[in-house]
Order: sequence, then structure tokens, then C-alpha cells
Amino acid sequence: MKNHNMLHNKRTFKILLGCLLALLLFNASLKAQTITPKDSAANYYEVENITLSDGLVAETGAIGFMPDGRFVACFHRGEVMMYNQKTKQWKMFAEGLHEPLGMMVINNHEILIMQRPELTRVKDTDGDGVADVYQTVTDDFGMSGNYHEFAFGPIADKQGNLFIALNLASNGAGIRNEIRGKYDSLSRPGRMYSCVPYRGWIMKLGKDGILKPFAVGFRSPNGLGFDAQGRLFVSDNQGDWLGTSKLYHVEEGKFYGHPAGLIWKEDFPRVVPIKLPVAHLDSMRTKESIQFPHGYFANSPTQPVLENTGGKFGMFGGQMLIGDMDHKYVIRLLMEEVGGAMQGACIPLNFGSKMRIGNNRLAFAPDGSLWVGQNDHGWVGARGIQRITWKGKKHLDIMAMKLTKTGFDLTFSLPLDPAKAQDLLNYKFRRFYYEYHQAYGSKQFDVKDVPVESIKLSADGKTVSLTLAELKAGYVYELKTGDIESADGKYLFNNLICYTLNQLR
Amino acid sequence: MIRLSVICTLLLMSLKSFSQKDTTITVKILGGLQFDLPRFAVQPNTRLTIILDNHDDMAHNMVVTKPNARLKVVEEAMKLGDKGATMDYVPNSPLIIANTKILEPGRIDTITFTLEKEGIYPYVCTYPGHGFVMYGAIYATNKALPPLEKDINVPEAQRQKTAAVVMNHAGHHAVETPPSPHPFPVKYPLLYRTFMPDCGPAAIAVGLTETEAYCFDAGKCYLRYAWSGGFVDNSEQWKGNGSKLTKVIGEVYWRDKTGFPFRIANVKNIPTVDFKGYQLKKRLPTFKYLLDKVEVTETIRLSANGTTLIRDFTFKNNKQKLYFLVNTDDGIVYQSKLSKFNNGVLSIPANVQRLSISMKR
Repeated sequence: MKNHNMLHNKRTFKILLGCLLALLLFNASLKAQTITPKDSAANYYEVENITLSDGLVAETGAIGFMPDGRFVACFHRGEVMMYNQKTKQWKMFAEGLHEPLGMMVINNHEILIMQRPELTRVKDTDGDGVADVYQTVTDDFGMSGNYHEFAFGPIADKQGNLFIALNLASNGAGIRNEIRGKYDSLSRPGRMYSCVPYRGWIMKLGKDGILKPFAVGFRSPNGLGFDAQGRLFVSDNQGDWLGTSKLYHVEEGKFYGHPAGLIWKEDFPRVVPIKLPVAHLDSMRTKESIQFPHGYFANSPTQPVLENTGGKFGMFGGQMLIGDMDHKYVIRLLMEEVGGAMQGACIPLNFGSKMRIGNNRLAFAPDGSLWVGQNDHGWVGARGIQRITWKGKKHLDIMAMKLTKTGFDLTFSLPLDPAKAQDLLNYKFRRFYYEYHQAYGSKQFDVKDVPVESIKLSADGKTVSLTLAELKAGYVYELKTGDIESADGKYLFNNLICYTLNQLR
Repeated sequence: MIRLSVICTLLLMSLKSFSQKDTTITVKILGGLQFDLPRFAVQPNTRLTIILDNHDDMAHNMVVTKPNARLKVVEEAMKLGDKGATMDYVPNSPLIIANTKILEPGRIDTITFTLEKEGIYPYVCTYPGHGFVMYGAIYATNKALPPLEKDINVPEAQRQKTAAVVMNHAGHHAVETPPSPHPFPVKYPLLYRTFMPDCGPAAIAVGLTETEAYCFDAGKCYLRYAWSGGFVDNSEQWKGNGSKLTKVIGEVYWRDKTGFPFRIANVKNIPTVDFKGYQLKKRLPTFKYLLDKVEVTETIRLSANGTTLIRDFTFKNNKQKLYFLVNTDDGIVYQSKLSKFNNGVLSIPANVQRLSISMKR
């Protein structure tokens, strides 16, 4: 009884407290009416859920558009489905594929599809709208049967060469009794391994049809894309040898950090790669262009795509976007060349609360809308397909983050309110690094707040030049922005931007 | 499930007095964001030790919370933001009873705590994003547990095994058509590229009818085995990340035991192979592959009476003799109109364009 009374008293108190709070809030809201409300991404983008076919398990492995405008998607159970946007009807194009995770549309009757065992040309040759030819384009790579040996791509460069990516195996499971390709146990020790060629590699398929190893050092490269200048970018996922998830600018012959695949490198000594001194491996590797801070920024970045809609999707033409499995946004990639290498910043691009997580595949439609194929696949994510359209109004965002000798220049999409733009409190910098090591992931080392010492606003009001107390190579510079406002009263709502500073100016 | 019920039974059998009990349970973390035990029961007033064993390829933890507090704790963990990693993603919360460290793949941690009162105590991985799917429940109770399939304290995926995609229409339940696992009706012949048992990893399963099927090895380019009585169950293979094999439904009545059936030029010379894909005609696949430089197509069909597999081959560029080997003691009668099998070897003269081999059960 005593307890009950106490509870009752507590409850009464809570109700009173609640009333009091409500009164206070009511007062505050009266005052707030004279202040412009904070901006929201939903004012600028529309997110639409695409109605799916009955019976579809929408673990989306790949998406694209046919030249005639039909949307096409591959799903985990091997289906390739076409969607007519006018009739809103789905139709099966192909079936029976083994975990398709990438596609490239050739024409209205033909698609290249990367499935687990091979790159396949899937064609409708009799014009009935259903594929009847499944041609093996290349299967010239090993498979141990380990579940983690996913295959990604293809994408084509301007010369017509194709690039695909081959995952490492995971020691969370073994290999099959029968494998495809030459077995080599040398790289079996360790978390992720490469026991058949060329796991952990990006491969190039020339027009001669020969598949050649192109670059090594990847763990789970779930996304390949070219930027506007034709540079190849590949994402990789936090884990062993990856302190956090990364985006690499991939060039022929280079090593990007995960040692397991090195055993297939020509003339590489017969040593267990992970037994090499970390400092030696570190000196061999080409650093990532972008690090995505793990957890709060991104967990598993997916497919990088170039925004090439000619303004139909808004103001980010020529920039690249990438999805993430765990976050309800896509990420914009703002890169620049410093000291001969690409490095730069990543910043969320929010579309509002209707956006789901699991954003595994991205493609721009002919009408300039962004289509996103979602997946979970036993990990964190979601299922389905969403279409994002730009409503035609410019919001306030960071268009560029450029390293200077003393700090960073931030260029905004709209002229800024000078007082807000020059308020030191609106820029909170922190820097840290992730360690390159064998262990899974990395904590943030040497974390330090970096004060902004001075701010200069450009004559057009769009660029702020920030002078930082300290700039050091080898760190991620994370900036949290405050209530920065445009001259016409719009607020910044994408307020976290992280610059990977490999080289100083 | 059997294991779970055994544990539950053992726990209930050990119920003797009201004094505090000591119990140790090992919980494995499996791939696909799941604990191997979606729930288990202990008596109230148990000092419980959980050994958490991470078999997955990602980092995880286990946080035991007070009843009904799982989602609140998950939300609190998410709010840790960039501080999370240094705190094992465990918020400083009075709702938490116990927690392990963040375990990297392959690591083990042990926690011990006492559950005094009867109740349902959730456990959950609070690694960012995992908490909404990766959880389970400890029942501190002397009573029977609710049926697993109705237990909302268990993730939906673990409440029951996914209904098998059974395509076996044999027997007296033949009238019932199972729902299609695809967004279109299932039609035969039906082909899946998938992980099949007793085959290389690039396998193709073909259901010729609902009850007659075979497995073709697209890596090694030959027919591996054939079975009768159903097609395949892909449910485990499709679940999660695809580690489990697709299962054969029915009985395998034949396996190729030659290792590889073709020889070129002489009966010992095994050619190199190269798989080129397949073409569908009325859904029936014709495989294409190279034996050295010989272009081969192979279509595997069923005879009209359904008891014989017929393998139709075409050859191009076969400037030398080919040999086709079979096992003479595998219960199958091999025949070809071309000529007779001689001790299990069929000689195929150079430039022969077509060949059919029947395999009668």
C-alpha cells in the first residue's frame, strides 16, 4: 500500500510538472512565431515508395534504367524485374540468377549482370520481353564457396573496358569441398582471406575478353563508380585492416590496404601477407580519398554514382553521391586533388524522414529523379525501392570544402547571413585518426578539438575561409556546423562534414 | 529448436528448491544479426553466467536489460553517437542489468548477473543499427513459455523456420500448390543458379518437372547428379547472407562418378573446359561449353514416359575423336544410337555433329 501511495504521489507530481512544462513551451512557441522555423530536407525533396510486385522479397542487388525508360532491378532470389512507370506494372525479365549484385544496361533487350559465379550477358533475343540467352562474359576468377565472396560491378570506362570487384572470404564460415580456381592456403590466416584468385581485387575486362587483375587490397568493395573526369572510385567496408569505411581512387597496379589478396600479385614474395610488418604494409598502400567515420556517419557505404542529371535533381551536378546501409540519407562526396592525389570531404544529403536505410544501389532516372534500391541481406538495412525527386527549390548546403594552407574554404549554395557566417560558435572542428591495423575497425585516436581562429566571408557571401589553430596531415577533420543561415533565411540542415586530410597544401 | 527445448527441459528438471541457482549458458552470435538462442528460461533467483561467443564476421555485444526496456536502451545507445565506440556502445543507463564488451569476430566474453524476480529480460546487441533485429529474451520463470511462433520477445525471423519452399507435389497432398517464392508463378522447367551440395560452387539446379531434376556444374561443365521426387528448397540459402546450401528435395538416383565424362583424342586425355552460358527454349536450358576448342551444346530433357534422361549434344570443331565415359555399375542403362558403349566408353568419331545419350533408370 505504501508503495502504491508513493507511486501515486509521484504520478501526481509528474502530471503537475508536465502541465508546467506545457505552459512554458506554449510561451516559448508564442515567441518562436516571430522567428523563422528551422529548415527541413522534406521541403526540397519528395520521397516516394515504389509499389512492389506481390510476392517479391525486395532485397535489391542492382538497379538501372533501360533506354526506353523502364526501371530494372535485380533481387536476392535471382529475379530481374522491369517496372513500367506509366502503368506501374512489374514484369519478369530474367530469373534464376545467383545473388545478382550489379548490372549495366546495354540496350532495351540486353543487360550485363554480375552474379556470384560470373558476369553474364542476359538477352531477350526473340522480342517477347523475357530473356532467353544467358551468356557467360567472364567467370575467370576463383570461388571457394565461402558466402562472403560477393561480386560487384560491372561499370565501363570510356574505352569500353569493364571493371568488377571481388570480395574476400570470411572466416566466419569455411570453404566448400569443391572450389573453382587454384587453391592457395597462404592467406588463410586472418579474419578475411583470399584462397582463390583474385579475391580482394578489382578486375578489368578488356575488349579482348580477357579478365586481368587491376588493383588489390579490398575487403568488401560493394560499389564502383566513375566521377565526371573518368576516375574510378571504389568503396570498402570497415572491418579488419579498415579502421573505418573508405572510398578509394583506384588506379592500376596499386595496393589499397587489405593484405589478403596480395598473394595473387605477380612477383609478390611467398609470405603470409598479414605477417608482414604493419609499417611495411602501410608504406605499400595507397591511402583512401575519403574516410567515412564509422557508426555515427556511415557503417557500410555502397554504390558511388555521378550526379549527371543536368540540373534535374538540383544543384549537385558533377558531384558524386554514395549510399549507406545504416543511415537514412545518401552521402555527397566533395573531392579535390591535393599534392597529386584525390582527397576530400563527405557530407550527408538528407531527403526527410520518409527515406529508409539500406540504400544499397543508386541510379538516376531519365527524368532526373534518384532511385534507390534497398537491401538488408542478413545485416542492417531495409527492403524496397524509393524514388527521390527534387522539388525545384535550392536549399542551403555546403557545395565545396577545400583545403587551404591555413584551414578550409567552405562554399555554400546561397549567400550567407554575414553575422551567422562569421560567428565562431557556428564551426566546431574535431580531428582524429583511425589506425591502420589488422584488428577489426579502430577507435578514434588522438581526438582533439581544433579551434577556428578567424573567419573571412567572400564578397559574394557564399564562401567562408576558416583559419584553424592547427592543420595536420593524416587526420580526419570533422566539422559540425551550427545555425548557419542564408541571407534569405534558409538554414543549413546537413550539418556534419568530414574531410580526410592526407596531404597538406 | 530441439536444442532449445532440451535446455528448457533441463532447466525445469533442475527446479528443486527456492534457493539461488547458478546456471551457465553459452550464446553464439551467428551471421545475419542473430543470437543462436532467441530465448531461454531460468528459474527466478538465478545467478546466470552467459558466455557470448561471436561467430559472425562483424563486431557485436550483448546487453541484458530490465523488462520492457530493450528499445529504450537501443535508443540510448544510438544517441551516444561518436562516443559510442569507446563505451562499447553501452549507454550509462539504470535500465541495463549487465553487458559484455564489444566483441570482435571470433572473440568470447562472459558476464554474470542475478535475476531475482520473475520476468522477461531482453538481451540485445546495441552496436549501431543492430538493436532492432538482433535480440532475444531470458525468461525468469517457473512456468511454461508461450509458443515460440507467437512470442513477440523473439525476433520475427526466429519465431519459426521460414516455411520451406517446397515444390514437391508427390503424395496425397498433391492438390495443394505452395506459394511461389517469387513475384510470379513457378513454372517448369525451372532453373536456379545456386549453391548445391556435391557440386562446385558455380552450380545450376534445373527442375524439368515438379518431380524430376538435375544439377549441372557450370564450373566443371558436366552433369553431376539427377534426382526424383521434388525440386529444391532454397529457403536456407536465401535467408541471410547465403552461407547455407540449397537442399535437394527427393532422392538422388544417379551421380556421375567418372570425374568428368569427356575425353579428347585418346581415352585418357581430359580436355580443359570453359563454360559459355545457356539458352532457354520453352524454359528448357541448353548449356554451351568448350572442351579444349570443341564447341559443345548440351540439352538435358526427360523422355515422354518420364523414366529416362536424354542428353542431346551438338559438337563443332571436333576434328579429333571424342570419348564419353560412364560408370557401368551405377544402375543406369546408357544407350546411344551412334554406337554401343564398350566397357563404359562411347567413341565419337571426329566431325560428328549430333549425339544423344539416354540414361534409363
